[in-house]
This record gives sequence, C-alpha cells and structure tokens, in this order.
Amino acid sequence: MLSGPLLERQFLEKLERLTIHWQKSFNGLVGGHNSSRFAGGGQEFLDHRHFHHGDDLRAVNWRAYLRLEKLFLKMFQVEPRVPVRMLLDTSESMNSEGGFKYEYARKLAAALCYVGLVRLDTITLQPFSSRLGEGIRCGGGRHRFSPVMEYLSGLPAQGRTNFLEVTRQFISSHAQRGLLIIISDFLDDSDCERPLQYLADFGHELLLAQVWSEEDRTPPWVGDLDLVDAETETRLRLQFDESARAQYTRAFDAYAGGLQQVAMRNGGRYVGISSATPIEDIVFGSLVRSRVIA
Amino acid sequence: MYFLNLSLAQFLALFGALSATMVLLYLLGRSRRKQVVATLRFWVAAEQPPAVHKRKRIQQPLSLILQLVSLLLLLLAIAQLRLGARLATPHDHVLILDTSAWMSAASGNRTLMDEARDKARAYLKTVPAPDQVMLVRADALTTPATPFESNRAKLEQAIAQSTPGATALNLDQALAFARQEQALGSGRPGEIVYVGPGRITIESHSTSAPLPKNLRVLETTDSTENCGLLKIGVRRSAADPEVWDIYASVRNYGTAPKLLTLALRFGGAPAGARKFTVPPSSEREIAFAWRTRAAGSLEANLIPHDRFPEDDRAVLELPPLPSLNLTVYSDEPDLLRPTVTAIPRVQATFRRVEEYRAEDTKGLVILDRFRPPQPPQGDAIWIQPPDEASPIPVRARLEAVPFDHWCSDDPLCAGLRTKDLRLASTYVFESAPDDVKIGQVQEGPVIVARAGKNKTVVFGFHPALSDLRYELATPLLFGNILRWMAPELFRRSAVAAGSAGTVTMQLDPDIRPDDVRVLEQDGAPLPFTTRGHTLRFFSGTPGTVRVLAAERETVYSLTLPELWDSKWGVPAGTRRGLPAFHETASLSRDLWQVLALLGGLGLLVEWLLFGRAEGRVRRFPARLAIPRRAGVRKAS
Repeated sequence: MLSGPLLERQFLEKLERLTIHWQKSFNGLVGGHNSSRFAGGGQEFLDHRHFHHGDDLRAVNWRAYLRLEKLFLKMFQVEPRVPVRMLLDTSESMNSEGGFKYEYARKLAAALCYVGLVRLDTITLQPFSSRLGEGIRCGGGRHRFSPVMEYLSGLPAQGRTNFLEVTRQFISSHAQRGLLIIISDFLDDSDCERPLQYLADFGHELLLAQVWSEEDRTPPWVGDLDLVDAETETRLRLQFDESARAQYTRAFDAYAGGLQQVAMRNGGRYVGISSATPIEDIVFGSLVRSRVIA
Repeated sequence: MYFLNLSLAQFLALFGALSATMVLLYLLGRSRRKQVVATLRFWVAAEQPPAVHKRKRIQQPLSLILQLVSLLLLLLAIAQLRLGARLATPHDHVLILDTSAWMSAASGNRTLMDEARDKARAYLKTVPAPDQVMLVRADALTTPATPFESNRAKLEQAIAQSTPGATALNLDQALAFARQEQALGSGRPGEIVYVGPGRITIESHSTSAPLPKNLRVLETTDSTENCGLLKIGVRRSAADPEVWDIYASVRNYGTAPKLLTLALRFGGAPAGARKFTVPPSSEREIAFAWRTRAAGSLEANLIPHDRFPEDDRAVLELPPLPSLNLTVYSDEPDLLRPTVTAIPRVQATFRRVEEYRAEDTKGLVILDRFRPPQPPQGDAIWIQPPDEASPIPVRARLEAVPFDHWCSDDPLCAGLRTKDLRLASTYVFESAPDDVKIGQVQEGPVIVARAGKNKTVVFGFHPALSDLRYELATPLLFGNILRWMAPELFRRSAVAAGSAGTVTMQLDPDIRPDDVRVLEQDGAPLPFTTRGHTLRFFSGTPGTVRVLAAERETVYSLTLPELWDSKWGVPAGTRRGLPAFHETASLSRDLWQVLALLGGLGLLVEWLLFGRAEGRVRRFPARLAIPRRAGVRKAS
C-alpha cells in the first residue's frame, strides 16, 4: 500500500493533452462496438448518399429535399473504438530492492489509464504474475480515474512470473483484438519471447514497457556474493568484479534487445524504462518519441 | 623517546584492542554478501567459482597491513610520541614578584622594585624557550598578572607594569597559590621563584607551613634604616569636647637610635611640633592636644625623611564639632532657660511669641503655650498647646491628677524616675498606635512623641510650672528628647590614620553587631567580621573607611603604607640566584604532526588501492556467461 497518491495533480493536468495511439487497423472495429458514453453514430459529418428504404429518417437532409425534391441521407464519421488492455506485472521480481520498481510501474500504468480516460477510451487493466489476476475496467472520462488509483494503490506484488500461462489465459478470455500494453520487467525464468509472439500472432498490437531498476541492469556489488532469486529463492554464490559487471550489463541489454525485436517484428513498440528516470520524463520523452502516446 | 599522553601499557592495550577490532571488521567486510535480486538469469556463471573454503582467510593482506600501520601511526600521534629525554619537557614556572609597600623604598638611586624587576627579567632569560611562566604579584593579596605564558614579551610587559602596593607581603599565601596553580596546570611543575627582599608580617607568616621543594629565591638587598608613622589616633577629649587628643605612634625599623621631629599642621597652619628619640627596632608614642571646633585637615610630618618617605607623612580629616540650633518661642523664657542651656553643643535662642515666623523654624523649636499661625517646618516640642492647636488631639483636660508612670521600653524614657508626682493641670492626648507615650496618668498619655518627616513631642503640661521642675527626670527627659531628635549631636567621633590591609577595632560592649556599619569613601558598604567585641575589615587600597557603631563613629584614613615586622629567613637548602637550565629542551621534539600525516596518508593509499578502485585488484575475477536466448537456465 502506498502512503500518498500515485500521481500528483499537476502531473495529471499535464497528461490531459495526450492520446494513446495505435498503429494497426483492426478489422470490424469501427462503429462503437465497445461501451462508450456516446451511443450510436459519430458526430462529425462525412458525406451524403441517396436514401434507401429502411434508412433512419432522422438522418435525412430535409433542406436538400425542399430545394431538390430528392431524399438524401447524411452520413457521419464514426470514431473507431479499439479495445485498450493493459497488463501489469505484479510478480515478486518487481518488488525486489525496496519495491521502487513496482511503485514506478504502477505510476506508469496509472498515467496511461488517465490518458485513455481523458480521451474517452475504455481500458481494461489486469495484473499478472503466474496467472492473470482480476482486473478493473475503466472508462467514461477523467472523473472515473479515482477507482483506478485506489485499485493500483492496493495491488500487492507476489508470485513468480509465468508469461506462457498468462498468455494462454489472456487469449482465451479476450478474443477481441486490440492494443495490448504490457508493463513488466520481463524477467521470467522461462523464455517470454514466445508468449509475446503468440499474442502478436493473435492480432494484438503489442506495446512493451520494460521497467528495470539500475541494480537490474548494473549491479553495484563486488566481491563474494550470495545471490537469492526474489521469486524462486534460488541461491547462487559467485565472485563479482568490474569485468563481470560489464558482461552482466551486456547480457541484460541483449535480452532487452530481443524483446524489442519481438515487438518491432510484429508491428508493435518497445520502450525500455529505467526506474531512476522521473516518470514525467518517460511519459513526455520515451513514450512520445516511440509514438505510444502523442 | 617517550609518550607524553599515554603510558606504554595504555598504548599497547589501546593498540591491541583497536587492531583486533580492525581485523574483525576486515574479515567481516571481505565475507560473502547476501543479496536478493530480481532474477538470476544474467548472473549464471559458466564456471562456478569454488565456494570459499576458508571464509576468514585474509584475501588482501596488503590492505590489512596498510590499515594496521596507519592505525599504529595515528595512535602514536595521539600518544604524542616525542624524541628526547622526558626531563627536557617544558615546565610551568611561577614567578612571584614582591609588590608590597616596602618595595618603593630606595636602594641607592633606585627603588627595590626596580631591582626586583631586573632580577625577574634576568630569570626569564634563563628559562628555556618552551617553558611557561606565570607572573604573580604578591602583597597582602596574591594577584596573578598573567596565565602560564610562553610569550616572553607579554611577561616582560607584565613585569614592567608591576608597581609597589600599599600593604605588606603575605608570602605564605603567595607560595600556596603558586603550588595550587602548578598542580592545576597542564604542564610539568617547574620552579616557584620569589623575587624580593622577603620582608613579611608576623601575623601572616606561619613557621610550621612546609616550603615547596621547587622554591627558588632571588633576593634583593635592602637597608632597614627607616623610621615611620605607624598610626595616628585622634579623638575628642573627654573633659573638653572642643579639644582633640592626638596620639601618634612612630617606629624605628633600623638598627640605630634616631632623633626625630613630629610636626603637626592643621589647615596649613602649624599646630605643634615635638622632638624625640626612638630606640632601634622599637616604637614611640607621641601625644598632642589641639583645640578647634572647625573641620579641617590635620597633617603629621616626620622629619627628617629617610629612604622610605611614604610612611613619614599622614593626613587626617577632622570633622567639625556638631551643634544644634534650638529656638524657644516663649513669653516666659526663664522657665526653660536652665534646662536647655545645660546641654552642651546646643545653641539656644529665646524669642518672644510675636516673633514667630514659620520660615525661621527649620531647626528644632520649642513652642511654649501658644498657637502658631503656621506650623513649624522642622522638628518641634510643643508645651501645653491650646486645645485646638495641638498637633495631637486632646482628649480631656484634668486638674490635680497624679502622674502614673513613664514608658519603659523606649530610649526616650531611659533613666526616667519620679515618685508621688502630681500634675496641677494637664491635657490627656488621643495618641496614635505608633506614638510613643512617654508619660501617662491614669486617664491616658500626657507626654507623647510622634515620629515622621518632622519629629514632634507634645507636653500636656508645662514641666517648669509643675512639680516636675523639682525632679532630676526633667533635664534627663529633655536630653532623651534631643538625642531622639538629633542623634548626630551625641555621636562620638574618632579619627585614625593607619595602613591599608587588615584593620582591627574594638567595639563597645553594649554594641550589637547588627548596629555596626562599615562604609567606604563613596558610601558603599565594606565587608567586615565581628568576633566578640572585635571588628575586622580589610582594605587593599589606600582610602577612607567609616565605621559607624551606634553613637560612635570612627573614621580610618588608611593612607599609611603597611610595613613589615621581620625578615623572612630563607631556609637552608633553598635554591638561590639565577638558575642554569640545561638547554636540552631543543632536543625534545614533537613527532605527532608527522605521525598523524603519515597515518592519514596510509589510510588514503589504502582507500585508493582497495576501496575506491577495488576492481583494480583482480585477484578473483568472476567469469560470467551471457545467457543464450534458447535454453536459459537458472543457476542454483
């Protein structure tokens, strides 16, 4: 549990000019298939066509009829409503080294939720570790953000990561394709690239936000180390020095590069985020540059 | 080579404890660190390093050695390791410079003080440079002029500023002070050096007190051929208050009889002279009588002057003879004339009632049976005033009433006795609670005294027209009333010229200690002690001190210097003359600065080699494997 609010009010005000972007064209996802405050057609005029039997009389352009004595129907542009889903890693690995990384990930999730709510998107937020947890569905504007904050604040970090099982559950429960934002450290003992590939193959647009702490990428310790895995409690004893640290960082970067390749290969995006960077810099920097939001 | 701050045992114990702690911390610091990490996938080693079989094996001995050596150097610096012999360490010396009154005596064409200053400076030059010296000025009081000081310029300046005082030397007190300062000082005790002729008073010197073993005496030569005034006492003659009895005491300190002349001058005019001979080492008292009512300065001169002229002259301020102006307003002045003129120092003026003027009544007045148009402005005695004019309300008028009694618990009624006294006619007054009812009949008070801004006494009857005129109590009653109204009139004055220092005075047996006041020239109270009927006070500087004890006032003119009684005999074995210090102090060198610097450098090198750039010492490089994308396994 957090003692204070996840995000400050001033930061939220800055987020209001942003929009979540996606790149893919999802077949059949035009016409308001998902819940929205606006039922029915769009508001913006698109074109005219001839009236046919069965058309809605309310859309007839009666002024044109009086002048031309022909029935024309006004057509409106319908805003696409793509489902936005967000998976937040709540495994023990996110909570290691004081839990700062986990708090950072929750803040990032909250910021993206707020951006979506402001633009009247509907976002499904679900935690996961070894299994897919019970999430929260939010939508309807910025005034619905308070339950999201409460939900994220009370979300504990526990369990070990199992991307394959989570992917299986996600695909089975969400047949509708859409934008999938995954906020995680992606530190699964098993390979997580294959589950991510499954998700892409099922038509989801992947947005991978890899959050790491500086200790994850560049361990500061040297000498005799007795290492304990935060999730499995497996132990490893070794000698660690500067050269080993460099090799470690190279290995980490290579792993992150693999994740980026998976995302890029499937038309998705990847953002590597250090928890040492202020959240505001990430949102208005890396996320904007990678066109996740704009 | 030795330690200044620690003994060897203390040093070894401290070093052992600290080095043991350091080795333990070293081993603890090099032990394996437990760390929880998010994943082990990047840590997996292709080749596991062998588990450290001997965890407490010293892996970086150079680091440990550097730390231990640095610790040793720092401890040596704290212990203040010095090169040289221990005896050569700086000492704290106390230089006692005699500043008693006798030091202003001439010795040749210089004074004893000049000679003592020269010897003190000469001593300073012999003291090794690292040694510290405290300069103490000694007369009746011991006054430190400087703290323990190694700056010779400051010490020489303090020596130059030392001047003779007004009191005699209290050597015991000075030596005790020097010993105490050396004991409290931070350095090693050095010498206690006394510079002076060693003229002391018997009262202040104790022969049983042991002398310090480190005492050195630098004697100054003096000549004792001196005659001087010891004290002068002046008091009013018991037979005639206008005559002053003058007693002068002269002492011959020398070894030959002296023919002297004591000349007195009052107000600048010669008042008498007397020649006399004083035997060697003895005193002589000379008496004079001088008649005067006026105040003025009395100067006593001892001729011829000698090497120490300060005690050849004394000046006393004689007070005037007090008197009281009394005005009697009466149409029958002969009734009161015998009573008021019988009192000495009372200047009585008789006037008729018609001559009464309120503005002329600032002194004491007697109003005889009349009503004044305005009340008097000062103290007054009302005799049988008219009913409506009485300052104290009249309760009744009685005829042929017997006198009952006098009050018993007030000085106004002291000594009053009457028997079978009848009053032909009298008023009875309505007195206030604070009034003194001097005389009473059965129905109430007939003589009442009232204190206040102006003191008032009211008679309900005329004492000279009643049977009281035949009684002895009548003049005594008026005497008591005048003593109550003008106590300074009856004060006995004495003037004494003496020397500054401790003054002892005998008090009258009937004087209570609470009634005694000792005042300085400016009226400030001076501390004093009383034991039995002896009063003692101390005045360190010349000046005037007044002692008020009931009706007795003694003025001490403490202008004469306090001189010695005897010469201090320097015990055999005491070091004399200027010392010859071995200049071995220069061989004793402090090393703590160098040791501290080396210790700090050692720690810095150790940190540079093993702390900050730990990775440069690659004794056990870990070999890590970059996990392959496929088949990554978690090491355990």
